[in-house]
Amino acid sequence: MKIKAMMFDIFKVLIGIAMVSPVIIALIVSFMPKADIMTSPFELTLVHATFQNYIEAFKYLNLGIYLKNTAVMLIICLPAQLLTALLAAYAFSHFEFPFKEALFTILLAVMMIPGETIMVTVFKMISGWKLIDTYAALTITSLTNVGAVFMFRQYMKSLPKELWEAATMDGCGYNAYFGYILVPLCKTMIVTFSLRTFVTIYNSYFWPFLVTTKDSMRTVTTGVALISSTSHSGLTLAAAITTSVIPLIVYAFGMDKIVEGMTAGAVKS
Amino acid sequence: MKKQKKQLLYPYFLIVPTLVSCIIFKFYPFLKTILSSFSVTDQFGAWIGWAGTTFWEMMFADDAFWQTLVTTLKYALITFVGTFVIAMILAMLSTKHTKLGKVSQMLYALPIAIAHSTSSVIFLFVFKGEGGLLNSWLGTDIAWLTKADTAFWAVAVVTVWTHISGSFLYLLAGFRGVSEDILEAAIVDGANSFTRAVKIMIPMASPQIFYVLFLNIISALGVFTQVKLLTGGGPSGATTSLMYEIYLRAVKFGEYEYACCVSIVTFLIIFVFTRIQFAFEKKMVYYQ
Repeated sequence: MKIKAMMFDIFKVLIGIAMVSPVIIALIVSFMPKADIMTSPFELTLVHATFQNYIEAFKYLNLGIYLKNTAVMLIICLPAQLLTALLAAYAFSHFEFPFKEALFTILLAVMMIPGETIMVTVFKMISGWKLIDTYAALTITSLTNVGAVFMFRQYMKSLPKELWEAATMDGCGYNAYFGYILVPLCKTMIVTFSLRTFVTIYNSYFWPFLVTTKDSMRTVTTGVALISSTSHSGLTLAAAITTSVIPLIVYAFGMDKIVEGMTAGAVKS
Repeated sequence: MKKQKKQLLYPYFLIVPTLVSCIIFKFYPFLKTILSSFSVTDQFGAWIGWAGTTFWEMMFADDAFWQTLVTTLKYALITFVGTFVIAMILAMLSTKHTKLGKVSQMLYALPIAIAHSTSSVIFLFVFKGEGGLLNSWLGTDIAWLTKADTAFWAVAVVTVWTHISGSFLYLLAGFRGVSEDILEAAIVDGANSFTRAVKIMIPMASPQIFYVLFLNIISALGVFTQVKLLTGGGPSGATTSLMYEIYLRAVKFGEYEYACCVSIVTFLIIFVFTRIQFAFEKKMVYYQ
């Protein structure tokens, strides 16, 4: 029985290896010298393993610049989305005010408009404002996140009412309540949201591709895609692997939290 | 008095950033997309004059548009079935905690961290005709990405591959959420593992299952990156998706108004699926 269970366990790992085999293949090829990749018929081998592709990727390609541009996007968009979503969620969960329902419905309606279907119009607006190839173009459309507003609101509504009543009764200001009590209480959700949004922004392709034309403004994803059309496979895959390391690390460390957040946001009861 | 007024406005201040951004980058572009589909515009999309239904008629009379529509629906169908079946099997396999369970689970989930563009670049190396991996292993000399049927399947395979991990994680969370007590009671009552799966696990994980099904359809309807990087929509439009068509028309060919028509069609299709999802969720799904 024990052996049978063990075999089954190993079988599951083998399926997993098959599933990630494209990544493993890319990893192997990225360490192969150009001559080996070019030989026909092609053979997957590490007999001449070398770091040459990685060295060249950093030397001759603008990997560093791509990483910097993606970093700028992350540094601006992630905190902005977090702050605006927390603030809006605070309003919708803790206050009563005229038109509250109407405003909330407006945000609900926004969720029904898939970003892709209005992308070209937003692109026309951005190019009309002469913002192509600027950081403004890369970031301005992702400064807020309506999905996050709903997620945080749901959680804030679940907090005990007594907390809010006691704090305001004792003269705690609205800003102080937000900063000292509410945000710390949301810490776990903030971490979860940040991890997931980090990867989403890092991996985004369509929008950065639309609004950048200069190589010096390319992000990691659009830059690597560009490399693939001009460089040999070893170099391309070295760049692909290098840039995948960061989101992989984020997932490896935050997997449990990310899964928790994914399912919490997805299925509401 | 002054303080009271400030307090009255306080919640509005909190909402303003989100609201303004939604109006500028969501509502306004949405309305403008509809308006532009009935108009003539300049190169920046600014309104010049009415065009009536000219562009709509043009689109509906265009064979390329119908081909694109059918191709996209085929992508969605394949992603819907393929991703679901594979993710379901993987999640079922992983439900029980075992010694190496963490390892296999990590492997199943790994592709979720890889950008669609990066996956496309990797699969490009597998599928490309000259010096590609698949050809060298099969000993063939097939131009996978420039023949209509194989190119279509290449895009579909990459789309499925990029979607499996996310679906797997949702489904796994659903299965793991089924209470041990119920399962043990079922075992005591003599239910075998197949019965347990069909009669208990699947119904109880139905919220996650429905979510995954629709998530994949809706996501596949917006496929762009794989098409752009693997086939460029070719050969002769055989792999072009709606999103890629929108991009081509608006950015490459300067036919922004036509692109708006396709955008609205895409929106309506996604909208219909979202409504079906909501209806199903309300009616059929079991919530604990």
